[in-house]
Amino acid sequence: MRQLAVVLALALAASIVGAASPPAASGSNVPDVETRRSGLQLTPMPRTAQLYATNCQGCHGEFGSSAAEIPTLAGRVGYFTRIPDGRRYLVQVPNVALNANSDADIAAVLNWLLATYSRAQLPADFQPYTASEVAELRQARIDVAASRRRVVDALVAAGQIPSADTLALPYIVLY
Amino acid sequence: MKPISSGRFDGLIESLSRGAAQLTSRRGFLSQCGLWLVAASSLPLLPVARRAQAGEQSAPKPARKFASEFANHAQTNDPTRCNYWRYCASDGYLCACCGGGPHTCPPGTSPSPTSWIGSCINPDDGKTYLIAYRDCCGQDSCGRCACLGQEGDMPSYRPQVNNDIVWCFGASSMVYHCSSAGLVGLAE
Repeated sequence: MRQLAVVLALALAASIVGAASPPAASGSNVPDVETRRSGLQLTPMPRTAQLYATNCQGCHGEFGSSAAEIPTLAGRVGYFTRIPDGRRYLVQVPNVALNANSDADIAAVLNWLLATYSRAQLPADFQPYTASEVAELRQARIDVAASRRRVVDALVAAGQIPSADTLALPYIVLY
Repeated sequence: MKPISSGRFDGLIESLSRGAAQLTSRRGFLSQCGLWLVAASSLPLLPVARRAQAGEQSAPKPARKFASEFANHAQTNDPTRCNYWRYCASDGYLCACCGGGPHTCPPGTSPSPTSWIGSCINPDDGKTYLIAYRDCCGQDSCGRCACLGQEGDMPSYRPQVNNDIVWCFGASSMVYHCSSAGLVGLAE
């Protein structure tokens, strides 16, 4: 009988503790085995950040830089917009030109990533990309390495970057 | 009664069958036999133990229908099973079965700095989350819990959203061990 009373008391205590703990499914807590306990709450990502995440972030990184193999955006990509050829190049690189998203979305994500990762490198009179500009530019199919070399040389010649090293890609030895 | 058979074996059989004829009634046997036949055939029709027989398929009956077929059969509790909701586009061995977690690499391997980012519907709140599929690299293939989710997976001529290729670009080793699925954010 005494044991039964102890068990009942424990069960009662457990139910009170259970009721007192914060409700797991409230608000926007992520219902997942890892986040249910931690109470992680997520707010929806802005649309442009989401476009960047699903189309660019996997390789270019959450903060605009990643592995040596991947061109760094942070503190660099804005230089390209300083001359018309460079501005064109950013739309004509294959993963932008051939992207499955609309011209308006591509313009939005380009403007977003330029302002987010490389604002300091943008020219003072920077004009954001428009959907119609992207639509026209993305028709072209370029030789990426040759185009990039030409743009970087032109940037150096125009005095926009101190030397080609500013935008250099590392020489990678995989094996 | 005097046996009519002469051989010893015949006699044994005769006495057995005579005994059976004297002890059992033919009508009784037929009625018993019929009873068992009916009982045996109607027993599976009773509404007993149907759930256990149906197994896992019918237990978590999805109340809602999501746009993603994967999400309709997904769960949020066990990262060591293929239908864990984050694995909607995971192709490979689950790190959670290989000594790591759903988004952590097993000891001795390192996460690739590059990943591909897809989205999965969480079956419990119906919201869409962005998921980073990041391979753990540097050890031979784990070989446990091979899973193939194909939500949003594109052919390999769209390599940035293809899960057939080894995503160890930039890692210290291109040797694939297992696949992880990290939570990136909540979609709009």
